[in-house]
Amino acid sequence: MKRRIFYLVLTVVVLYSAGPLIWQVLTSLKTDHELTRIPPLLPGSPTLTHYISVFEGRMFFRIMLNSIVVSSSTTVLAIMIGSLCAFGLAKLRVRYKPVILGFILSASMFPPIATVSPLFMMIKAAGLRDTWFALIITYTTFSLPLSVWILTNFFREVPDEIFRAARIDGCTSFQSYAKIILPLSAPGIFATAILVFIFSWNEFLYALTFTSTEDSRTIPVAIALFPGIHEIPWGEIAAASVIVTIPLLVLIFAFQKKIIEGLTAGAVKG
Amino acid sequence: MKNADKGTGFILPALLLLAAVTIYPLIQVINLSFQRRLLIFDVVEFVGLQNYIFLLEDERFRDALKNTAYFTTLSVLSELVLGLAFALLLNRTFFGKGVARAFILVPWAIPTVVSAKMWEWMYNTDFGIFNYLLGTKINWLGDPQWALNAAIFMDVWKTTPFVAIILLAGLQVIPRDLHSAARVDGAGSVSLFLSITLPLLKPVILIVVIFRCLDAFRIFDAVYVLTGGGPANTTETLSIYTYKVLFQTLQFGYGSTLAVAVFLCVGFITVAFIGLIGKRFVHS
Amino acid sequence: MKGSSNTISIFLILSVVFSLIAGCEKKVPESAGSGTVTIVFKHGKVPGDPEHMKRLLKKFEEQNPGINVIDETLPSTTDEQHQFYVINLEAGASDFDVISMDVIWVPEFARAGWLRDVSHLMSEEKRKDTFPGPLEAISFEDRFFALPWYIDAGLLYYRKDLLEELGFGPPETWNKLIEIAKAVSRGSDNLYGFIWQGKQYEGLVCNVLEYFWSNDGDVFRDGAVVLDSPQNIEALTFMRDLVVKYKVSPALVTTAVEESTRHIFGNGKAVFMRNWPYAWNIFDSDGSLIKGKVGVAPLPAFFGKSSASTLGGWQLGINRYTRHPEVAERLLNFLTSKKTQKYLALTVGYKPTLRSLYSDKDLMRQQPFMTGLHDIFMKARPRPVSPYYMMMTQVLQPEFSSAISGIKTPAAALRSAQRQVEHMLGANR
Repeated sequence: MKRRIFYLVLTVVVLYSAGPLIWQVLTSLKTDHELTRIPPLLPGSPTLTHYISVFEGRMFFRIMLNSIVVSSSTTVLAIMIGSLCAFGLAKLRVRYKPVILGFILSASMFPPIATVSPLFMMIKAAGLRDTWFALIITYTTFSLPLSVWILTNFFREVPDEIFRAARIDGCTSFQSYAKIILPLSAPGIFATAILVFIFSWNEFLYALTFTSTEDSRTIPVAIALFPGIHEIPWGEIAAASVIVTIPLLVLIFAFQKKIIEGLTAGAVKG
Repeated sequence: MKNADKGTGFILPALLLLAAVTIYPLIQVINLSFQRRLLIFDVVEFVGLQNYIFLLEDERFRDALKNTAYFTTLSVLSELVLGLAFALLLNRTFFGKGVARAFILVPWAIPTVVSAKMWEWMYNTDFGIFNYLLGTKINWLGDPQWALNAAIFMDVWKTTPFVAIILLAGLQVIPRDLHSAARVDGAGSVSLFLSITLPLLKPVILIVVIFRCLDAFRIFDAVYVLTGGGPANTTETLSIYTYKVLFQTLQFGYGSTLAVAVFLCVGFITVAFIGLIGKRFVHS
Repeated sequence: MKGSSNTISIFLILSVVFSLIAGCEKKVPESAGSGTVTIVFKHGKVPGDPEHMKRLLKKFEEQNPGINVIDETLPSTTDEQHQFYVINLEAGASDFDVISMDVIWVPEFARAGWLRDVSHLMSEEKRKDTFPGPLEAISFEDRFFALPWYIDAGLLYYRKDLLEELGFGPPETWNKLIEIAKAVSRGSDNLYGFIWQGKQYEGLVCNVLEYFWSNDGDVFRDGAVVLDSPQNIEALTFMRDLVVKYKVSPALVTTAVEESTRHIFGNGKAVFMRNWPYAWNIFDSDGSLIKGKVGVAPLPAFFGKSSASTLGGWQLGINRYTRHPEVAERLLNFLTSKKTQKYLALTVGYKPTLRSLYSDKDLMRQQPFMTGLHDIFMKARPRPVSPYYMMMTQVLQPEFSSAISGIKTPAAALRSAQRQVEHMLGANR
């Protein structure tokens, strides 16, 4: 009985979260003049035309590649730099800790729309316009506050005794960071990585400003290119967002499994 | 274990990157906020605090501040409650856990611009799914009573996964033997949650609340696409107002003043939270 | 297990390295050395098959050996394009040469010093042939800072079949529109009378001005702000009354934009709609529910006054910081030429800004609807042509929105707008 209630609640939660995406899938299969009629809820004669036209003449694969490279590079960099910093803050002696934490946080206190213009000038001066690098460096920077704060918290949860024991065994600080702290904080790292990855995947304002061609344009900007001056091809937008969301989910699902396996493996060893 | 300043080498890369990328824009924004700078009038002059004085009298700023505060409070509170519930649910062991977790992430994974457009259509009075399912004819985005709440509802849907995923990670590191020990002592689920889980989760909750407040207070894309700030500015947030002043009317000086105001508000909120519940986090 | 997580990390690290390398070797200007000049043309998305635009630019390249044109599309919402140009031009960016601009930006960009004066490209003949609206919109201090590319104007769409059934023609006055809308929609609760765009955005200003103008109202008269004139108050009150008093417009118009109204009308759920010409081709295409049942007319006016519609459309100008001004001018001339305008009219449906094309035989045969719009375009009026327009519209949008959604009375909203615009202009003059 209790189990049944649990699954019922779970179903409701999953439907609430995925409902709009399911709606999006249905929309993407509808013909143009069915799009804005309700009822019927389901597409009368499902069609793939919207999916086909997403790929027509748009270099959509290149754009997906851009997004994948930018987001995964950002994630790796942010986790590397962020976890080092978090380790220092959580386990080592650092002067002016509150000031540093405050400074890191202040990076995400200005509205992005106000900083985009000066940032653009810097990118332009560095000759990085329309490159992956411009986006990677910006995204890494702006995901540092979140990464550092979350990771600091998780690293702190690792008991000091383990850390001390490692020291006695002759581990350097860096070794205890790499061999003890990182594996033991896998859930925190995984959560942070997902958040950073999706943040970079979805970011629009900087991407719009720093990119200008298919060389570096990411998915949100590419989708913003679908509408005409007045006309909005809703079916195509729906198809494109389904195309980019589903691989993301598969990816997260796969990674999550790996990381949880890694976690249990590490726990057994440690 | 704490050697003198051993940590500096570890935190340096992060600090350098942050300094390299953010210092110039921050200084630039603050500098501009003291200027009267109107591109199309060839006006560039230092005016000291004049923009800030105008800010205090600016009714549109006051309204935007009110909207933003309302938006932030309501959305962050709802997200926290819902996110905690989701996290507790997903922390159990059950069949299909991985899939369920991935699905919970859906709203967070859809690009903001797309999901805002999607919600605009779902809110449509005539052919939107909400009115269809509810059997109503509500003008969700056009009725001043509804518009801001409709935007909040969308934001809660969109960002609850963010909250849930961090809290879930927090739950995972709580040692299970703590719970079993308490259970042996005869504690019920609710008292277990209140006496053990919640206190241990406090630092994570603090982080979530701070970062959600930071983001909610600076909300832009989602609401801008959904309503453009209308009707009659009832959904105009501080960032939307800043955007309009900066990029539509090209008043870089006053626009920057607004941005600094946002910065100060957000800073104040953060300090207040840390002072209220999180001293330990910063000082330990 | 261990192997696969290693694979993942290797992949990720490789992608970082790859991107760093790609970042460094980026974009050596192609013009260097080889003697060819590359110029970049920035514009919003062109409807239909992207091949049409490519073919056009190819033709230009053939006619002008040694010139290479890259066309780069911008996201289509006008706000995003405006923001893009502001950030880039303010930073003195020179990596695009010819840009397309909404009709309301030219004086602002010109005043900011971002555009080259292109008056010399506007021949006497071309000027005489251009509609008066766009001509006004591209001028600033008696010089031209852009050339018109295509034109747009507000129209009244109506359901020809339903009106004819009851023996009505298209209405010439607003009151007649109410009368017909009520008569036609009587008895069917699934048919709206009249829909238009009332969301707080630029489109709302376009709509409201049409009521002002068709009641002899205006924003400026002889240099003075006349926003709170009795004519304007009457006009704005009438718009609000369409919803609350006459009930021919549903409350949803206060959030409607072009596409939401177009879909409702396209689903056969409205008698009248105000929209731009783009909707016609969609209604007229196969699979449209209302194909052959739609008529188009000039917007109605208040009794005894004359109809007016708001001018839209896009203009082409040259980036002040371009490295190749002569080549850019050549491209500008080519893109706004009669030949190109005809080609774009036939292929992608852009409405030409040159009047003589409206009696062109091919166009009349293939796009009879378009050539029928000549008289409406003649009367299309630009929104106040002023570098301050973008500031003004930021005042007008919320005030108009508050009037039509019933937060303020129309008179109060207009008085407030009047005060703010006067203050703005006074402070900046």
